[in-house]
Amino acid sequence: MYSFLLLNALINGVVVGAMYALIGCSLNVLYGVLRVVNFAHGEFVVGGAFLAFVLFEQFGLNPVASAPIGFVAFFIVGAALYYLLMPRLAKSDDPETASFLMMYGVALMGAAIMLMLFEADTRSIDYSFDPVSVKIASVYVPTSRLVALAVNLVIVAALAWFLYRTLAGKALRAAIMNREAIQIVGVNLHRLSAGAFGLALGLAGATGALLAMVFPAFSPFSGPDYTLIGFIIIVLGGLGHPVGAIVGGVLFGVVEQVATVFLPQAMAPMVGFSILILAIFLKPTGLFGRVALR
Amino acid sequence: MESASLPEERARRLRNLLWWSVLAGLVTWLAAVPLLGGSISFCFFLMLWVTMASGFNIISGFTGYMPFGYVAFYGVGAFTTAILTRKLGVPLALSIPAAGLAGVILSLLFAPTLKLSGIYFAIVSLALSIICRLAITNMPEAWTGGSYGIQLGARSEPVKSFYVMLVVMVACLLTVTWLANSRLGKALRAIRDDADAAEAMGVNVPRVRLYAWMLAALFPSLCGGIEAWYTNVVDAESAFNVLITAKTIIYATAGGLGTVMGPVVGAVVLVWVDELIWQRFPLLNLFLLGLAIVLLIQFMPRGIVGGLLRAYPRLRRFVL
Repeated sequence: MYSFLLLNALINGVVVGAMYALIGCSLNVLYGVLRVVNFAHGEFVVGGAFLAFVLFEQFGLNPVASAPIGFVAFFIVGAALYYLLMPRLAKSDDPETASFLMMYGVALMGAAIMLMLFEADTRSIDYSFDPVSVKIASVYVPTSRLVALAVNLVIVAALAWFLYRTLAGKALRAAIMNREAIQIVGVNLHRLSAGAFGLALGLAGATGALLAMVFPAFSPFSGPDYTLIGFIIIVLGGLGHPVGAIVGGVLFGVVEQVATVFLPQAMAPMVGFSILILAIFLKPTGLFGRVALR
Repeated sequence: MESASLPEERARRLRNLLWWSVLAGLVTWLAAVPLLGGSISFCFFLMLWVTMASGFNIISGFTGYMPFGYVAFYGVGAFTTAILTRKLGVPLALSIPAAGLAGVILSLLFAPTLKLSGIYFAIVSLALSIICRLAITNMPEAWTGGSYGIQLGARSEPVKSFYVMLVVMVACLLTVTWLANSRLGKALRAIRDDADAAEAMGVNVPRVRLYAWMLAALFPSLCGGIEAWYTNVVDAESAFNVLITAKTIIYATAGGLGTVMGPVVGAVVLVWVDELIWQRFPLLNLFLLGLAIVLLIQFMPRGIVGGLLRAYPRLRRFVL
């Protein structure tokens, strides 16, 4: 019996963990390049889910197709936010902590906007795949989760290709390592930073569309949950380290899902937070520190 | 030794005199509110926020930490008072000080996190406050009342709890005033500005930090206990709400962290604005709060008092 539950938890852990990984990844792009700890990240993810919801209700669009639309829409929002918020913030005494607080304000505004548009009810997208579930070994897994995992992997692959094979991606990684030095070699830091802001929020928006397939219920108040998970993952994987976030996310997802097998449902989040605190004391630089990126 | 003739010393006395008169005026006005039939509820929460913001100032303004899980102390204080009063029948005269004690004990448990700095400290502090909430919601229902919370069942005495809140607020402000003038306060500021240099000058950095942390934990947990008594009900969802931390930080920052007067000014101004304007638009309230935070960080990162001091450095002579 336990082996069945464990297998189930493992498969779901990988699916859920991949979602967490994507959230952590985009959070880390933002922190890495701009030293902005995005407290509003969860709101943008949930905003992406709501966008997919609207697109489905109005046009019957498949949530998979909404993911790229979410990416583009939130990319624009992110780039706009950069030009709107960052220039003044950069002049502050302690930009990192100031950004943390400021993005909390943005999070409240985002939650309030969603609340005004969609009210406090929990929503879900009624899109169903055919067949509804697929049997893996002895476990039935909902097709929507498997599709989300597949799209997720495609996004991660595309991100990896972008970061390691294109000039813009290389500039982005260089900016994470040393903001000053890349200006010397002629990179326009403003445009790059705006792009990083857009990329991070665009990824969050695309994650939101997938999120609607993995966790069917979302509401304007679910944002902070995902923000917190994102924080745990980036600290686990190493702040400002996109690849570390992927490992941290999958690890966290699997541990969380396996924990639900042995512990009461409500206790599972505590395991996550305990891992975070343990990780910080044992290895404050995260699993990957700063070295692996080079 | 006659040092009063030094201009430094004269300015210090002037600052303190000014601050004491502001404080005395504030306390006299607040003490008269129930007698003159003013709004007890408004002034109760005004004092609560002044206390929270000033307590936060001890750890953030003087020491430079950003505890984003500050609400943990408040919530644990509220639950300590509620459980002791309701389940064990302890009189309020003991269960409210017990809330303060619980907060200090919790701060000792959290003390190892002081090794962390900057954003790590903020995130871990936030995580710890959530662990506290989860731990309390997962305790047996007979203890914490589960998701329904605890009805204290004590006789509701708004006027009495009002005066207790006033006493705690005054105690908090006196503590901060003492801190600003004391060796400990100087040591804290030195650590905030440069921990290594402070260490080299002979400051025992971990111990001094711990003192500030314990003081900063004492006042919010007392606030939690008194608020539980005042409203007669405690539930985990609202006692550990991140918004409580956020409001505390905003009020303190809006006034100006690191000055004694700043958090008081910030709390008084913003609680008033909240009452006058925002409460009339319940749906917009959350949005406006968020907007206020963004605008504050963008245009007034040092707060009202801090901004004035920067624009007019001469005012430093008059502001503690």
